[in-house]
Amino acid sequence: MSSKIIVITTIILLIISFSVLFVIEAKNHDFDYKKSWSVVYFENPRDNSLDFTIENHEGEKMEYDYEILIDDKKVAEDEVGIEKGAKQEIIPVLDLYKNSPANITIEVSAKDLKYRIYKNLGI
Amino acid sequence: MIFDLTKLIITIPFIFILPGFFILLAIFGWKNYRVSFFEKAILVVPMSVISLDFLILLLDRMKIFLSGPVLVAVIIAFCLTCYIIFQLRFGKKGGKKDDGENAAQDPFDFSRWQTIFILISLFLAIFIRATYFSDTIVPSATDMGHHMFWVQKIIDTGSLPDYGMPDFIIGEHTIFAAVNLVSGASVMGAMPMIVLFFMNIAGIFALAMLAGRMFESPKIAAAAFFAAGVLYAINAPQGKYVSGGVVGNILGNMLIPAALYFLYWAFSEKNSVFAGLFLFSLTGLLYSHHLSSFILLYSATAIVLTYLALNFTRIFKIIGDWLKIFLKPFPIVVLVFALCFLLFVFTPSYFNSAAVGQATGAPTKITRVGLNLSQLEINAGSARLILGALGFALLLAGLQRKEYKYGFTLAWAAVIFLMSWKPAWLYVNVPSNRIGNYLFLPFSLLAAYGLAEFIGFFRKSTTAFFSTVLLFVLLFFVITDGLSDSAEAFKIRPQFQEAVQTFHSAQYLAEKLDTSQDILLKDHVNIYGDSWYKLFFMKDYKYPLSRGMLSRYIDPTKPREICTRDMITIPETEAAKKCFSETGVNFLALNAQLEGNSFEKYPEFSKVYSSNYISVFKRN
Repeated sequence: MSSKIIVITTIILLIISFSVLFVIEAKNHDFDYKKSWSVVYFENPRDNSLDFTIENHEGEKMEYDYEILIDDKKVAEDEVGIEKGAKQEIIPVLDLYKNSPANITIEVSAKDLKYRIYKNLGI
Repeated sequence: MIFDLTKLIITIPFIFILPGFFILLAIFGWKNYRVSFFEKAILVVPMSVISLDFLILLLDRMKIFLSGPVLVAVIIAFCLTCYIIFQLRFGKKGGKKDDGENAAQDPFDFSRWQTIFILISLFLAIFIRATYFSDTIVPSATDMGHHMFWVQKIIDTGSLPDYGMPDFIIGEHTIFAAVNLVSGASVMGAMPMIVLFFMNIAGIFALAMLAGRMFESPKIAAAAFFAAGVLYAINAPQGKYVSGGVVGNILGNMLIPAALYFLYWAFSEKNSVFAGLFLFSLTGLLYSHHLSSFILLYSATAIVLTYLALNFTRIFKIIGDWLKIFLKPFPIVVLVFALCFLLFVFTPSYFNSAAVGQATGAPTKITRVGLNLSQLEINAGSARLILGALGFALLLAGLQRKEYKYGFTLAWAAVIFLMSWKPAWLYVNVPSNRIGNYLFLPFSLLAAYGLAEFIGFFRKSTTAFFSTVLLFVLLFFVITDGLSDSAEAFKIRPQFQEAVQTFHSAQYLAEKLDTSQDILLKDHVNIYGDSWYKLFFMKDYKYPLSRGMLSRYIDPTKPREICTRDMITIPETEAAKKCFSETGVNFLALNAQLEGNSFEKYPEFSKVYSSNYISVFKRN
């Protein structure tokens, strides 16, 4: 009888542990659950296009300011509000063929956060 | 989520209990007085793991696409076959006739206090581990990532992979692939760690079963749950090996005690069925982990030689008895079955003379010349080592040459100790710290014996006060030192935020890159969970390239590839530029706060991705 109690108790303890671990993993695997981070990236990293996306995983709605700089000169700026867990694709309209720029930088900021992506086109 | 969890909870017993239950039913019948309910409840897990491996290997050999329905059908067919064998062998008697008169004393008939002690030990063992795992449960461990790549390969292709290297063994991956195929539980989730957690607990039970059976003592079996399950529950090769995905060791720690249990029964009871099951377990272990198989073969050899040495005057009679045990139909059938599998169905990738040559002989590296005593103490744990030494001394003092338990325990502990301490003496050429991890097995057994005997000794003592004080001092030391690592379970900082950012960057790159043209290099040194990158691409085991730990680039015995290091560490140098040109690397994933910052000053790179933790650069 004692053996059966030990085996059954172990099974119960294991089922509880497995369930708790499974739920903890599933929740924490989420990009937003108890997390605070953002990301900015080019939609097409392999070519010269400047379409970029901002993702908000800060845990709240955020207002992101962004600036576009061509060879360190600001040519455009705007702001975009993004809901928690959402993302926004931005398609800049720039005439790049006039000056053949060497570097195009996109700086995104929100509160004390700052992200910078760029393409060095002159190399 | 609840539905996925339910499927996983149902799948685990279906895969890891059902096949073992039916194979034991076919062998021992419904009620067998030789093997107790407790032992059968423990043995179902290793028997299931081995059976599952054989079934999957056979399916693959028959070129049958591995899928969930196929596995479910094959497992059910296997169980039905075993049930038919059971009916044919035992009929309505259900196996009751077997050994009824020679019923062995059940060493697992625990008293109330022993039951309570075991339940507390198990609660602590499971609770401490689960608490530790709760902070590491999101996939991130390097070894686990490497293993899960191969598991995903099996899932995607429906067939077993050709590793092309001796580092991986098929049994390390089949169990996870089977759980995924049947339940759908992702390999990039909690499933791998849950399966290993289950195997780890099954290993503790297996060791307690071995202890109980060898010493025919419920109190030693109870003490084994404490020595193996509670002491150093987090340190290697326990919790840290589960969360780290050291699959082979975890499986080995379950299968080695099971195999030795069968060997002990075979010798002590002169029973050919157990001899066959020993061969079955050994074959299963060969498909699960090479180092554990190596340890088992050395251990079994040491046990056999020690027993023969202790009974030198009867050596020919003993060998004759053993031959009689092993040269019976059942072990011969198992042996032929094992050889057929190894030769014609699936030969493990490490089965070649080069691998055997590398593992045996004089140590060739500084890491293989043996551990010093303080390293051994760290490996086994001070409390376990002291209790084990006490157990060793008590066993040696009461040595009875004819009884197998003495030869088994002493030889097992001695051979693993020597393999770790002075490997050259035994022609062992394997990293010593990896062997040292196996000290846990025999020393837990000896510690259980030492603890139980020590408590019994002081109970009998006439000076109750003195004995109680001594006992409490020992227990205080054992518990404080043995549980010191468990405190870690409650204070580690989860790195879930870093892990998900790693996954996000990997997902981004997997979507945007053309892997037929783009070559990605990632930084293993400073990116958490980076080994899981390859699961997003599923291109090749070595894709993406990786900057490894810096010590790996220094090898006085042979030149090492250094491009993966230089392209991140010194990308502006001519040497690195040559590397970029030779390897074709044009994307780099780096830690945003470290190399990510320094890379911004190099004009030939564009920064295409920026998060708090990861930066991705493209070489123009």
